[in-house]
Amino acid sequence: MAIPLVPKLLRAHLAELAENDARIDGRQQWEGRDVEIETSVLPRAEGSARVRMGDTIVFAGVKFQIMKPYSDRPNQGGLMCSAEIRPVAGRNWESGPPSPESIELGRVVDRGIRESGCIDVDALCIIPGEKAWQVILDLFAISDDGNLFDAFALAGIAALRNAVVPAERFEVGEDYSLGVSKTPIMCSYHKVGDRFVYDACGREELGGDERIHITLGDDDHVHSLQKGLKGIFSTEEFTEIMGRAQERSKEIRDILDSL
Amino acid sequence: MGGYGDVQMIDENGKRVDGRGPGDLRDITIETDVVPVADGSCRMTWGTNEVIVAVYGPMECHPRKLQRQDRAVLDVAYNMAPFSTTDRMRPGFNRRSREISKVTKDALESVVLLELYPRSKIRISIEVLSAEAGTRCVGLTAASVALADAGVPMTDMVVSVASGKINDVVVCDLNKEEDNYGEADLPMGILPNSGQLVFLQMDGDLSQEEFNQAWQYNMDAAQMIHNFMVDSLKGGEA
Repeated sequence: MAIPLVPKLLRAHLAELAENDARIDGRQQWEGRDVEIETSVLPRAEGSARVRMGDTIVFAGVKFQIMKPYSDRPNQGGLMCSAEIRPVAGRNWESGPPSPESIELGRVVDRGIRESGCIDVDALCIIPGEKAWQVILDLFAISDDGNLFDAFALAGIAALRNAVVPAERFEVGEDYSLGVSKTPIMCSYHKVGDRFVYDACGREELGGDERIHITLGDDDHVHSLQKGLKGIFSTEEFTEIMGRAQERSKEIRDILDSL
Repeated sequence: MGGYGDVQMIDENGKRVDGRGPGDLRDITIETDVVPVADGSCRMTWGTNEVIVAVYGPMECHPRKLQRQDRAVLDVAYNMAPFSTTDRMRPGFNRRSREISKVTKDALESVVLLELYPRSKIRISIEVLSAEAGTRCVGLTAASVALADAGVPMTDMVVSVASGKINDVVVCDLNKEEDNYGEADLPMGILPNSGQLVFLQMDGDLSQEEFNQAWQYNMDAAQMIHNFMVDSLKGGEA
């Protein structure tokens, strides 16, 4: 990713807004943008979703491959999650090998989904030691106006929830629904002008400091955490955003369940 | 071309596998302003093809060695998303996507008024989200709509469409099954206002008569598609 210029004026403006308990797009400190989720949107994918949060738009697509199980886990299939942010998504994203930013995005989303145990990897085994399903979740950004993390995580779990294992095409039985037993939800908080805000937009990311990502499972169990970018935060600050994440993740889970 | 001529793809009434007549196009929809952060953008569906194009610029040209003192350069990248095909596509460039990017760039540089923006770059990202057959035509057509949406001056938009041959019958706009068993493919990039060409490829086997028929199908289809493009830019759903 090209390092964009961070205008001092933008940083000063964001700091002033924060002091007055305001945000650059008029939202409250913990208010998220409207979330739109559409599923089964990609005809060639076995599961798919499109998520829109403000001007951030992403797709997630699930594909399946047959793999040889790892020798230390002969009864398990696999899950692979990768994020691609190509130049289509914004003027600062460049073509070329995956950038550290997109690798971090893919890995943090991957950990939240994997560690929640929402996918039964034992059920992905076809013949122990010989054949198993590999689930591949590809995350693809179309428009980056901030907080790709939450958009990717949400599109990812939504796509997995409607994925169908293409067993007929691979001649190993009949097609069946992948089945996702849990719904991990990621909530991201950015330090903007000396305080954390939820669901930063592009300008807040550009003129902000560190960010914290929290993935919570159905029963508020913590499945992944990540602190990114330069910045210092306190236990009090973290405790507050953890509480906010518990509230917000329930709301997002309700949106998903209502689809 | 596959050339499995014994597979029957056209019935006794001249109807194709999806019910179309030989000169008919698949369904097409065009939508602009689909990438809010871009200067111009277009989403085009064509059969079950789906392509999104974003245009950024004119902007500073990096790296500097690509800069031209007298004109702008187009930075065109055609890419297929990993979930766009039946078997997952490995991310990253391959020889096919590089060639398509290049011929698309050559076509678009022929119509954009590059001399108006010396030393700058216009970036055009063509992302295939779902591939059926004919994605290069969808990409090139959608790219000219996105350029128009971005307000980039052009002498004309490019309409790209392909015709081919199955079971010794020349047909317009091959779908996936027809493409797999097709005997020829002739994609063209047409300037609808003058009938001139900026893009041309062909592979397979066509007699002179068949070639003339395929050429004419493309010319006629270009006028129809051009109407959809203009409608979408005027704000209506095409």
